[in-house]
Amino acid sequence: MADTIKLFVNGVEVEVETGKNLIDAIGAVGIEIPHLCYHPALGADGNCRMCLVGIEDGRPPLVPACKTPAQAGMKVLLDAAHIKKIQRDVMELELINHPTDCPICDQAGECKLQDYYMTYGRPESRMTVPQVQKSKKLDFGCGVVHDQERCVTCGRCVRFCREITKTGELGIINRTDDARVNIFPGRPINNRYALNVVDLCPVGAMTSKDFRFKQRVWFLKKAPGICHGCAKGCNITIEHNREKYQDDIIYRFRPRLNRQVNGYFMCDAGRLSYRQENEGRLLAARLGSQIRPLEDVLAACTREIEQAGKIAILLSPNCSLEQMVAVKALAAKLQASLSGFSTGYIKEGDGDGLLIEDDKAANRAGLALLGIDCSRESFEKAVRDAQLLINFNNDLTRTYSDSELKKLLKDTKVIIAATHDDRLSAMADIAIPVATSSEYAGSLINCHNILQTFAGAVSRNHKPANIGEIAAKLGSPLQSRAEQFAELRKYLSVLKDFEADTVPAEGLKLNESEAANVTA
Amino acid sequence: MEVKILSAKFKLKNANKITVAKKHGAYATLGKLFAMKPEDVIEEVKKSGLRGRGGAGFPAGVKWGFLPKNTGKPIYLAVNSDESEPATFKDRYILVKDPHMLIEGIIICSYAIGSHETYIYIRGEYTTQVRVLQAAIDEAYAAGYLGDSVAGHDFKLNVTVHRGAGAYVCGEETALLESIEGKKGQPRSKPPFPAVAGLYGCPTIINNVQSIASLPFIIDKGADAYKVYGTEKSPGTHLFGISGHVEKPGMYELPLGLPILEVIDKVAGGVWKGRKLKGIIPGGSSTPVLLPEEAQDVTLDYESMAAHKTMFGSGGIVVLDETVDIVALVKNLIDFYHHESCGQCTPCREGLGWMLKIIKKILRREGSMDDVLLLRELCDNIEMKTVCVLSAACTMPVRSYLDKFRHEFEAYVQDASASAQVKQE
Ligand SMILES: Cc1cc2nc3c(=O)[nH]c(=O)nc-3n(C[C@H](O)[C@H](O)[C@H](O)COP(=O)(O)O)c2cc1C
Ligand code: SF4
Ligand code: SF4
Ligand code: SF4
Ligand code: FES
Repeated sequence: MADTIKLFVNGVEVEVETGKNLIDAIGAVGIEIPHLCYHPALGADGNCRMCLVGIEDGRPPLVPACKTPAQAGMKVLLDAAHIKKIQRDVMELELINHPTDCPICDQAGECKLQDYYMTYGRPESRMTVPQVQKSKKLDFGCGVVHDQERCVTCGRCVRFCREITKTGELGIINRTDDARVNIFPGRPINNRYALNVVDLCPVGAMTSKDFRFKQRVWFLKKAPGICHGCAKGCNITIEHNREKYQDDIIYRFRPRLNRQVNGYFMCDAGRLSYRQENEGRLLAARLGSQIRPLEDVLAACTREIEQAGKIAILLSPNCSLEQMVAVKALAAKLQASLSGFSTGYIKEGDGDGLLIEDDKAANRAGLALLGIDCSRESFEKAVRDAQLLINFNNDLTRTYSDSELKKLLKDTKVIIAATHDDRLSAMADIAIPVATSSEYAGSLINCHNILQTFAGAVSRNHKPANIGEIAAKLGSPLQSRAEQFAELRKYLSVLKDFEADTVPAEGLKLNESEAANVTA
Repeated sequence: MEVKILSAKFKLKNANKITVAKKHGAYATLGKLFAMKPEDVIEEVKKSGLRGRGGAGFPAGVKWGFLPKNTGKPIYLAVNSDESEPATFKDRYILVKDPHMLIEGIIICSYAIGSHETYIYIRGEYTTQVRVLQAAIDEAYAAGYLGDSVAGHDFKLNVTVHRGAGAYVCGEETALLESIEGKKGQPRSKPPFPAVAGLYGCPTIINNVQSIASLPFIIDKGADAYKVYGTEKSPGTHLFGISGHVEKPGMYELPLGLPILEVIDKVAGGVWKGRKLKGIIPGGSSTPVLLPEEAQDVTLDYESMAAHKTMFGSGGIVVLDETVDIVALVKNLIDFYHHESCGQCTPCREGLGWMLKIIKKILRREGSMDDVLLLRELCDNIEMKTVCVLSAACTMPVRSYLDKFRHEFEAYVQDASASAQVKQE
C-alpha cells in the first residue's frame, strides 16, 4: 500500500493515497468528481472545467481537481451549494451547442455527458438562440468517424495521438466555439492504435466505423478476457450479445486496465480480432467430408490412434497452459511425440515497443515452461515418422504453403482440433470443432512472464469443446481443469497459493527463478 | 499636466536611430548598471514601486524576486508587445518612437534577473513597429549593446523578435509563451507560474513593453526620482491613450493619480461637440464602465480604480458621449471577446458565443427581459471559472453596462414586446 494522507471531503475525513490529483485520490475511495478532459493515461489538461471544486480556506478557493494534488488536511468541498451551481452551470454551457438527439447517438448509454446531465445538469434548456453548426460524419481514417457537433473539445483524442502514439494526426483548429477537432487535409489518422480514441472520447464524437450503430450498448454483456492477438496479452472486455434466435455474437473488444500489462489501451488489430471469433468457424465435427456427431468422430479418432504405429502431436502456441498440460499428458500416455513448432506465428520486426509484439502467439512462454520442443527439424521428422498427426489448432498455414503442407503430410493421417474451417481443416481426415479463447477459461504467460487467467465469456450455439476436454476424451489422464491446474503447480510453485479463479486480476509476475524456468 | 519621462524622445526626429537616440542619452545608464549588483538593481526597481503596465499592475521588482535560484536552467525574459486590447495604444509609440529605450530596459532587466535570452512578442498586425524595432535591434547588435558582450561588459544578451499571428489571447502571458514555442496560443493553467516554469519549462519573466521601457529612467535617476511622480501606491508616469468622444484624442504621458475628469477636460479637450458625458471606460475595453457621477472623485491610479470597482487596466481611456447606444456597444464588446476566445475552456468557449447571440437578439429588438437577466447571469456563471481571465475581460465590463445602463436594455426588450403585441393584434 502506498503512503496515505488524510483530508476532508465535504467535512468528512477520508484517507487517500499520496501523489495523486484530487480526482484520482478521492475517486479511489468512491467519491466521484465529474471530469471530461482529464484521463489518467493522458494527464490533466484543465480545459473542461467540470472538475472545479472548492477548497475551504484555500487560495484560490476554487481549483480544478485534475490539476490539484491531494494534500494532507485539505478541506475539499464538493456538495456545497456554490460548487453544485458551478457544476450545473458548466454542464449547461457544455450542452447549449450539443445536439439533443441522444436516441440516435451511438454513444448513448456510455456517454459522460449524458450521465453528467442526469447527475449535475439543469433539467430544462434555456437556449433560445440557434446552435453552432459543425461538420458531421467525418472519416478520419483507421475506422474512426468523427462528429464535430458532439465534440466537447476535451482534447483527449488529440493528446492521445501526440503523447501515446506520437503521431500527432489530430488537432483542434479554430478558436472560440468554432473550435473543432480535425485532421490535416489529406492526412488521415495513421497509427496502429487509432481506435483507442473512440474509447477515450467521453462523448459520441469519435465512433468506430466497425461498431457504430450495430448494437445499443446497454444490450451488450460484458466479460473480462485476454486478447490472444500477440504475446502481450492485453486485458480486454469482451462485449457480446445473443439476440433472439441468434448465436452469441461478439460485437467488440475493448481494452481493460491492467497497469502491469497494457495500461489503458490495446492495438487496433487486437481490437478487431473479435471478428475471427465470430466468423469462419468450424461448426461441426467431420469424418472426411461428412458431418457426424462428435461422439462418433471421437470414436473414429480412438480407432485411428489404436491403429497408428507412431503418433505425432502438435500444439498451438495460443493454447492455454491448462490445454498444454492436458495435451502433454495425452502425448505421454500415447507415447506420441509432442511439438509446439510455430515459427510462422512470429512476425519479425512487427513489434513497436508500445504494445504490439513480434510474436503473434499468446502463450509461447507456456510451451517453454512445459519444456515442449518447438524446433522445425524435430517436428518435421516426427511427422515423417508418424502415421498419425493430431494437431491441436496449430495454424500450419502460417508456416507452410499449401503445396509444402500436402508434401509434408502425404503419408500421414491428420486429426485436427480446429476453431476455424479453413484450408487446414479441409485437408484433415478428421476435424473436431473446438472453442476459441473467448469461449473457455484458461491461463497464459505473456512476453513479460506475467501469468494471467481468463474465464469463458461466450457460449456458441454449436457448443465447441475445449481442447483440454478433447485431450481428455482421447485419453489424457488430466480429466478436468482442476486436475490440469494441479499439474501446472508442479511447474510453477508460485501457484501453490492460488486456484485458477483466485489468480489476481492484474496477473502474477513470475519471480526470477520461475521466469528462468520459463525461458529454460 | 503632461510629463516627458517615457516620451522624452517621442517628438525628436529619427529618435529610433541609434545615433540620434544616443545623443539624447540612450544607453547612458549601462555604465552605472554594470557597476551595480543584480540584486541591487532588483532592489532599486522594488523601491521605485514600478507596477506592471500590461494591465494587472503587479509590482515588477516583486515579480522578478519570484525567480527560483540556481535551477541550472536558463532564465528567459519575454517582453509583451501584443497590445491588442481595444482602446490600448501606448506600447506602439515606444516601439516606433524610441525603441532603444526598450532595448536599454531589456538590458537592465536581463542583467537584474540573470537572463541572456529575450523574446519580444509583438502582435502580427504591428508591421511598421516590427520593422522599426528590428532595425533598432540590429543597430544595437552592431553597436555592441547586444550580443556576446553587452557594452564591453562580461554579459551576453540576445534579443529575438517573435511576431504573433493576430490573436488577442496571445497577450495573456502563458498563451504568449505557447505561441513562442510554436504551439497554438492557448493559456496554460497556473500553477506553475512562468517565473518557475515558463518558456520551454524554464524560469521566465514576462513584462509589458512600457514596464521595461520605464527601467532606464529608474536606474539612471533613481527610485526616488521616479516616485516624485504618481501616488504612493501607483508611482511614476504612464502613457495614457485617450480615445472616443473627446476633442483631442491621443496618447499623453501623465503622472499617475490625476483626476480622470480633469484629464479628459484639460488634456483631451473635453467631450466633443459640446455633448454630455455618458460614461468612461477607464483602462481598455475590459474594464468596467464608470458613470459621470461615479467619476467625480476617480483618479488615474490603481487604488482609486479598485475603490470604484473598476480597474486601471492598460490606461486606455474611452470617453462615451450621450449618443452612445450602450446595447450596441455591449454587442461590439462581446463580439470581440467571443472572437478572441482561444476556445479551450468550456465556459468561455460556449458561454461567450451564447452571450453574443443573446445580445444580438436584444439588439434586433427580439429579446425579452428574460434574455437580459440571462445575459447578466451568464456573466456570473462564466467569470473566474476558466483557465485565463479573457472571459472575465468580457464579463466584467458587460456586467457593469447591464447594471448601470439597465434601462437601455429594458427599452430594447420593451420595444420588442410592444411590436410583438402589435403583430398579434
Ligand atoms: C486576454 C489577455 C490579454 C492580454 N494582453 C496583453 C497585452 O497585449 N500586453 C500586455 O502587456 N499584457 C497583456 N496581458 C497581461 C499579461 O498576461 C501579463 O500580465 C503582462 O504582460 C505582464 O506584464 P507586466 O507585469 O509588465 O504588466 C493580457 C492578459 C490577458 C488575460
Ligand atoms: S472528439 Fe472526443 S476526445 Fe476528441 S476532443 Fe472531441 S470530445 Fe474530446
Ligand atoms: S497488442 Fe497484442 S494483445 Fe494487445 S490488443 Fe494488440 S494484438 Fe491484442
Ligand atoms: S478563458 Fe477563454 S481565452 Fe482563456 S483559456 Fe479559457 S477559453 Fe481560452
Ligand atoms: S477534468 Fe479538470 S478541467 Fe477537465
